[in-house]
Parts: sequence; C-alpha cells; structure tokens
Amino acid sequence: MRKSLRINHHPLLGEMDKKVISFTYNGEKLQGLEGEPIAVALLANHIRILRRHEESGSARGLYCGIGHCMECRVELLGKGQVRACLTPLKEGMEIREGSRLPNAITGRVDS
Amino acid sequence: MRHVNEGYIVCRCEEVTGKQLEDAYLLGAITSRQLKMKTRATMGACQGRVCRQLVNLWLSKKDQCADKGVEPLSYRTPIRLVTFGELAGEE
Amino acid sequence: MSEVQQTDLLIVGAGPAGLSAAATISADRDFRVMVIDEFPEPGGRLLGQFHEERNHSWWIGKIVAADLIIQNTLAGVMIQCGVSVYGLELLPDGWRVLTSKGDIRTKYLLLATGAAEVPMPISGWTLPGVMSIGAAQVMANVHQVKPGERGYIVGVNVLSLAIAKELVVAGIEIEGIALPPDDLFAMEETNPVAAIELLTRLSDAAPAPWMRWGGKLAQKMKLSRLIASCFPKKGVKVWDLPLQLRTALVSIQGVDQVESVIVADVTRSGEIIEGSQREIEVDFVAIAGGLYPLAELAALAGCPFLYVSELGGNIPVHNERLKTTLPNLYVAGNITGVEGAQVAMAQGRLAAHSISYDAGWFACEEEPKLLDAIAEVKEVRRSAMIQFHPEIDSARKRIYELFEHWM
Ligand SMILES: Cc1cc2nc3c(=O)[nH]c(=O)nc-3n(C[C@H](O)[C@H](O)[C@H](O)COP(=O)(O)OP(=O)(O)OC[C@H]3O[C@@H](n4cnc5c(N)ncnc54)[C@H](O)[C@@H]3O)c2cc1C
Ligand code: FES
Repeated sequence: MRKSLRINHHPLLGEMDKKVISFTYNGEKLQGLEGEPIAVALLANHIRILRRHEESGSARGLYCGIGHCMECRVELLGKGQVRACLTPLKEGMEIREGSRLPNAITGRVDS
Repeated sequence: MRHVNEGYIVCRCEEVTGKQLEDAYLLGAITSRQLKMKTRATMGACQGRVCRQLVNLWLSKKDQCADKGVEPLSYRTPIRLVTFGELAGEE
Repeated sequence: MSEVQQTDLLIVGAGPAGLSAAATISADRDFRVMVIDEFPEPGGRLLGQFHEERNHSWWIGKIVAADLIIQNTLAGVMIQCGVSVYGLELLPDGWRVLTSKGDIRTKYLLLATGAAEVPMPISGWTLPGVMSIGAAQVMANVHQVKPGERGYIVGVNVLSLAIAKELVVAGIEIEGIALPPDDLFAMEETNPVAAIELLTRLSDAAPAPWMRWGGKLAQKMKLSRLIASCFPKKGVKVWDLPLQLRTALVSIQGVDQVESVIVADVTRSGEIIEGSQREIEVDFVAIAGGLYPLAELAALAGCPFLYVSELGGNIPVHNERLKTTLPNLYVAGNITGVEGAQVAMAQGRLAAHSISYDAGWFACEEEPKLLDAIAEVKEVRRSAMIQFHPEIDSARKRIYELFEHWM
C-alpha cells in the first residue's frame, strides 16, 4: 500500500486531531477523518478521479478546492450530487464517482 | 504572439477550446456575449467563475482597443448557482 | 427557508477584512452585526496562510483567524457559514441581500468578498492532479493533506513563491517553479524579463538576498534584462525553491491523472528553444495565474468600476473611507485591490469606523478614530512582508479621485 499523503506532523501547524472513520468510494472501503471534506479524504487515499466529463468522458478531479469550479462533483448516497471539496465526511458515507448533471442545472439541451 | 496553442481547453465545464473560440470569432462572434452564446464557453456548471476572465482576456488581446475605463461590469443575478445551494454540503 | 432576517450591518465575507470589521464595530456599540460566508468555516484566505516575519517569527493565519473569531463571539456577532450571497437590491432604507438561505434586510452592507484566482489554461490542465495553487495551499495548510508527493508549479509571482515555500515546509517536493507558455491566454507577460520585474516587487520579502539587491537596482537600471540573460538555465535555489525563470511548462501529461510534465527552455523574450523539451515525472501540478478582486456583488449592486492593473483588475469605485458611490454600501479587503491579509484586517477596522461615523452616533468621537484608522491602513501597507505591487498607493489615489469626481 502506498504511503498516505497526510501531513501528520506539520512543523508549524501541528497535528489534526480528528476522529478516524470509515466510508466507501465506488464500493471500496476507506478511512478518513471525520468532518474533513470528502475530496480531502479521497486524496489522502491517493484517489484523484472524482468524475468523468459528461460528453468526452475525460477524468476530472479537484481543481479550486473552495467550491467555485464544480469539478469535484461526486454522488453521495441519499443526497445526490455534492461538491466533494466542501462536503464534510461522515461515518458510513457511501460515495461514488459523479455522474451526469440534470439539464435543468447545466442548461444543456440534448440534441 | 508566439507559440499559440489553440487546441487545448479553455472552458473546462463545456470543454471549449481556444480553437473553437477562434473559429467563432472568425464567424462574427466578436463580443464576449456572442462568443459565449456561440461556443457555450462560460455557460457550464461553474457559471463562468473559472473561464470568464480568460474569455474576456482573450477577447481584449484580439481587440486591443477594448475599453478599460470606468464601466459597469455585466453580471446578472444570480451570481451563484442557487440550485447548488443544497449541494453546498450542509445538512 | 424564506423568512426574512433583519440586521443593522451585514458583512459578506468572513475573511480577515470582514471579521476585523465585525469585531471592531461591535466592540464599540450596540449594533446588530451579522457576517455570512459561503465556506463551511470562517477565516477566508487566512486559514491557509503562514509566512516568516522579518524577525524570523512565523505569522500563522489559522491562529490569527481563531483570535478574530473569539473576539467576534465575545462581542455577540453572528457568523453564519455555508451561506452564499447571489444577489442584492437597493431599498429606500438599506439593502436586501439574497442568499442561499433566504433574504436578509440590512441598513448597512459591507462587501468583503476577497480575491479569486486567475486561471491559466495549459494543455492537459483538466487532468486530475492539476489544481489551482490556492487549492494546493488549502489541501496542505488547511486540511493537512499533500496535494501530491512531487509537483511542478507553473506561474512565477508573489503568490506562487509564497505558497511554494509553504508546500516545501510541509514536506512536499517541488520539482520546479516555471513560467507558463507564452500565448494568448497569459495574463501577465510570461517572458523571463517580465518575471524578474515582477519578482523585484517583492522588495524586502524577497526570498533571497540577490533579489532584494536586484530589486532595488533593477528598478533603477533596467537590470532585469541582464539578470534574465544570466539566469542559469537549470534555475537557482532561492529560499529552497527551484525557481526556473528560463523554463516554461509546455504541457501536462497523463492518461487519467497527472503523470508528468513537458518543460522547455525559453529565450529571454519567452520563445521556446526547439529541442530543449524534456519530460519530468510529477504527480501534481499547481497553476498560479495570480489574483483578481472578487467584486461580482459590487457589480450587481451597480457600482461603477475602474480597471487598475496594479490592484489586480476591476475595482468598484470607493473613497479612502471605503464607501462606494452607492448609499450605505462599503467595501474592505481584497475586493478593493489585491494585498496581504494584514492590510485587509486594517481595512476592515477602517470600514467599521467609517460605518459608525456615517451612522452618526458620537460623530465627534468617531472622527479621530476614523482618521487614525486611515493612517493605520497606510502604515500596515508600508511595512507589509508580502507586497503584491509597488505602486499600490498611487493606484489607490486614482480610485479615490474618481470617487470625488463621480459624486
Ligand atoms: C488562493 C489565495 C491564496 C492567497 N494566499 C495568500 C498568502 O499566502 N499570503 C497573503 O498575504 N495573501 C494571500 N492571499 C491574498 C488574500 O486575498 C489576502 O491575504 C486576504 O485573505 C484578503 O482578505 P479578505 O478578507 O479581503 O478576503 P478573503 O480572505 O478572501 O475572504 C473573503 C470571504 O468572502 C467569502 N465570499 C466571497 N464571495 C461570497 C459570496 N458571494 N457569498 C458568501 N461569501 C462569499 C469567501 O468565501 C471568503 O471566505 C491569497 C488569496 C487567494 C485567493
Ligand atoms: S474543487 Fe472546485 S468546486 Fe470543488
């Protein structure tokens, strides 16, 4: 297994004291810290692909990290599409790669 | 202008390339509004928050005399995708 | 969902400017103050910043933010997070503010929405693992997860150097900080000469003595051309950072995520030297296109704007007291021009005094406080460690003059 990307002992910022919890991504069982954004928990597990582009299918991941770009949309069971960079992780969350958004939101017209 | 690489994506949401902007411009879409309507650049899920600057910059480089004085900026309500309110991550 | 909330002062943005304004005004008087922010926690861009001061102590934004939040809590300010403002409307007696959690009516409105990043499209920039430099900062400093093991930074500016330094401190390997390819989408000039000119603005905060020295001299003698030609192709280590002013990042490669970048040497004026392309393995790329003031709400309100390149873009016209040309509407922090967090805090305090003054209580007491606050902003600006531009004062004067003219 690859080394986690967590910065456990930051020389200036210290430690993150948050509880370790479990969740799944595309069915795989993973661990993350309670309350951290979903995208952060995935990144710590070396997972960067959060969705695929509606038309071209190209892989997309976190880009702005602060809720502006909408690139990090994932599917959260029971909630629908959420921005992974803003949505806090909770115990037992079931998350999947983001799927296509409804046209009502994108303004896209099917042709 | 050296090394103009127009093949890559400018608007990430709608995957609009520099080449598509160029083509639209040549076909007469010469204001940012026309460019947007023609190519869908800035009209995707982020509502132009990422590429609006780029499209305007690209246009101002095309059209060097573009006015940069006092101007009302063309923003319309809503400036945030409200339908995404529920997606913001809170309960 | 749709009940209308009422307040005396609504502050949009819980960054250093907004939080300082709220703490200052409520410490002073009995006045309902509400702060809203769309991010899940308050602090704005403070949360991800830290830098070394002249006396070698570290200034840590998270701690400064925590302190401001405590001051606000003690003063009874309501801070609401996870609320986006998407519109506003002028009323006869104040403003109606449209938010994702319903409308808010307020007498006074302070916009402290900060700055946003200028994107920079590069071939391959949609691959997972490519992120804005601000995202890399948030990952490493706010959430304490590395954006990757080894990365490249594209874009040479004050922010990219400051954040590169932070990433190195966090134990992340930075393979290089290179120029973007020179093309139609480049915001700033992207050749080595321009990059050096830009770096000379760092003045005292410059990460290496040669830059501090070079900065002063280059400004006088146009030395930058010379530095650009002498700048070693391999780059130099400044502040432990591999600064590569003769290298451009041409494209980002990978199937489903970043695997490598292609870089090439460039001439002094930014042209790619054919045959110098090479591939370097990295697992992330951070794009640093610079910052611009996030003034969309001022635009919606109907403020006139002036394009001021020294301040990062279109600025809503305002006066030295941070009043806009519209009734009861104020601005503070990076929405008035891109500067460091300490300046934003001083501006927040100034806006608070300006609003109390205009509200008309104890005007004779407020006047000296207001003048002090104006002087303080100037002083903080003068001594700031991170200076985004040397001509800020004269650029700001142009806006103030326009305000007088407009009114
Ligand atoms: C990515 C990035 C990195 C930076 N790093 C540094 C650095 O290392 N050192 C440095 O000196 N300066 C840095 N800066 C500059 C920074 O802008 C200032 O240091 C300072 O934080 C500005 O303070 P502010 O209060 O004006 O805005 P901010 O700190 O940006 O706070 C503004 C707040 O307003 C909120 N907001 C914006 N629009 C809305 C809306 N419509 N509805 C609700 N809320 C909204 C935002 O969520 C944000 O929290 C950085 C800026 C950015 C964008
Ligand atoms: S990464 Fe941009 S919205 Fe989440």
